Amino acid sequence: MVEFVAILIYFVIALALAGIILGLSFVFAKQKADPEKISAYECGFDPFDDARSRFDIQFYLVAILFIIFDLEVAFLFPWALTLSKIGLFGFWSMMIFLIILTIGFVYEWKKGALDWS
Amino acid sequence: MPLIFHDVIVQPSTNYLDYNYYTSLFENDLKAVIPESFLLIASLIVLLYGVFLSNSKDKNYPILVVNASIISILSLLFTIILLWNNPISRATIFYNNLLIDDLALFLKILILLGGLFSIAMSLQYIQNEGLNQFELQLLILLSSVSMLFLVSAADFITMYLAIELQSLAFYVMAGVKRDSEFSTEAGLKYFLLGAFSSGILLFGLALLYGFTGTTHFSEVSKIFICGSDSLRFGFSSLRGCELGMVFILVGFLFKLTAVPFHMWAPDVYEGAPTSVTAFFAIVPKVSVLAVLLRLCYQGFYDFMVPWQKMLILSSIASMVLGSLAALSQNKIKRLLAWSSIGHVGYLLIAISCGTVEGIQAILIYLVIYLVMTIALFAVVLCPLRREKISSLNSDKLEISRLKYLTDFALLSKTNPVIAITIMITMFSIAGIPPLAGFYSKAYLMFAAMSASQYLLAVVAILTSVISCFYYIRIVKIIYFEKPTTLLTFIQISKESSLVLAVTFTFILFFCLNPAPLFLATHKTALAFCF
Repeated sequence: MVEFVAILIYFVIALALAGIILGLSFVFAKQKADPEKISAYECGFDPFDDARSRFDIQFYLVAILFIIFDLEVAFLFPWALTLSKIGLFGFWSMMIFLIILTIGFVYEWKKGALDWS
Repeated sequence: MPLIFHDVIVQPSTNYLDYNYYTSLFENDLKAVIPESFLLIASLIVLLYGVFLSNSKDKNYPILVVNASIISILSLLFTIILLWNNPISRATIFYNNLLIDDLALFLKILILLGGLFSIAMSLQYIQNEGLNQFELQLLILLSSVSMLFLVSAADFITMYLAIELQSLAFYVMAGVKRDSEFSTEAGLKYFLLGAFSSGILLFGLALLYGFTGTTHFSEVSKIFICGSDSLRFGFSSLRGCELGMVFILVGFLFKLTAVPFHMWAPDVYEGAPTSVTAFFAIVPKVSVLAVLLRLCYQGFYDFMVPWQKMLILSSIASMVLGSLAALSQNKIKRLLAWSSIGHVGYLLIAISCGTVEGIQAILIYLVIYLVMTIALFAVVLCPLRREKISSLNSDKLEISRLKYLTDFALLSKTNPVIAITIMITMFSIAGIPPLAGFYSKAYLMFAAMSASQYLLAVVAILTSVISCFYYIRIVKIIYFEKPTTLLTFIQISKESSLVLAVTFTFILFFCLNPAPLFLATHKTALAFCF
């Protein structure tokens, strides 16, 4: 547990450093805002239409797939560490889990959830 | 005497490489879950089959709803056969996580039959409605697997996981019709309230685990009988256990749509596609009640006074509200939702008895309620689309759905056979003597009276008199009312008519030979007690 203290200190220092770097540009740079400068940048033109647009469902799909396979990895970590102790039985138990997940993945693949065309 | 299972086959061993565990695992444990494994593998195969075939360009992207339905029906049927022929009838398996006994067998078969019938009778509906997703049948299979595990759960963790798998499938099923606002709303509502109730349930389980240090039903009950030192002398930890138990019961009452926690049920029932509503109304009650029964009679039997009070209160409220609120409903599905809330009230009477007769009454009631609900939903499902006669001249038929109670009007003229079926089913649900529904209610009252629950019995009889009004009102609409627009039925599919015939025969002729059901339930209830 003690080794996390160093990480905490590292975290605080990193935050402070980032704050300092961000703050310095405010201190030293000249700031003259005018409407042209603070308007939205769209390749030099004025904005054409409403900024709202339909959101692509693909982003959700990828996010959900990430969550599922992230969880899979979370289950794989302890399995990988204890593989020498749990023997063939443990190995095949995890294989069954992986097979079920793979079937789910095959479903997604064939369904076209991974196509971005 | 509290209900503990003595014939533990597998003693939990700390050594995973223990030779004994291996032999027992492959000789008993895996054999004992062959039906569940079969159903799981079958559903995975349906998944692969469906996704490969429905996305194949060579086959011109076929719609696989009918195929998936038939495969699902077959796999449910084979699972029933496997369950029936399972040589291991009583055991605790997988490190005491699962439990196999007569009650589990009985209820598992009931669940599978419910799933089977609900797929069969919704075949025509999903084709007409254009619910062209084979995933719907797949989800029914997967939720059936989870319900099989739920029924035989003997551990809080197994129980919670099974409930979650079941609920997760249900949330998707409720919102499966994506182009309908009602369906998506139902899915969202069901998801939010279901997740909330699961959270409450999980908090209760955590409290109980925190105060007892075990997650196993019968170990919890052992602690409650003899009392560990901290429980016997520590007043606060006993209170903590009671608090956890209250949370768990609230979670279960949410899942059962019992009254203070029923608010989602009418909206979900109405919004979800009718085939899904039928499945919701028929099957999950069995599994949730089964595990509640196990929990109350096996885990918390020594805490009977507090949980009995809660269940009695909820039961009275469900019966009263279920019968009163259904009076003012004009839509069929909403009416059925409120009626099912009332029936949950009756079922809770049986649980709160705490006697063997109570268990038997709940089993009889479940079987008969299942059959009647199947019959009702088969009617609501199959003629769901009716062509307006007035628009026959135009080349495009105007189709309206069976939605309001008044749509039944003149059914006695247009389709006398269905009219008689509905009439008999309605009389049966209302509890008119020679029909099956009467026997279930009567036995329930006997059980309640013999357990000295006089208040419950009186309220049940009074509310069932009130609920007679709206059941028989449907019969009146069918036979004596004139419709505003003339509607005719589309022909009923073969599967639905078969389902209707089977259930109708059961309801009508149950009185001739009620002994087998009574004997089977008695045997099951007795086996639960030792």
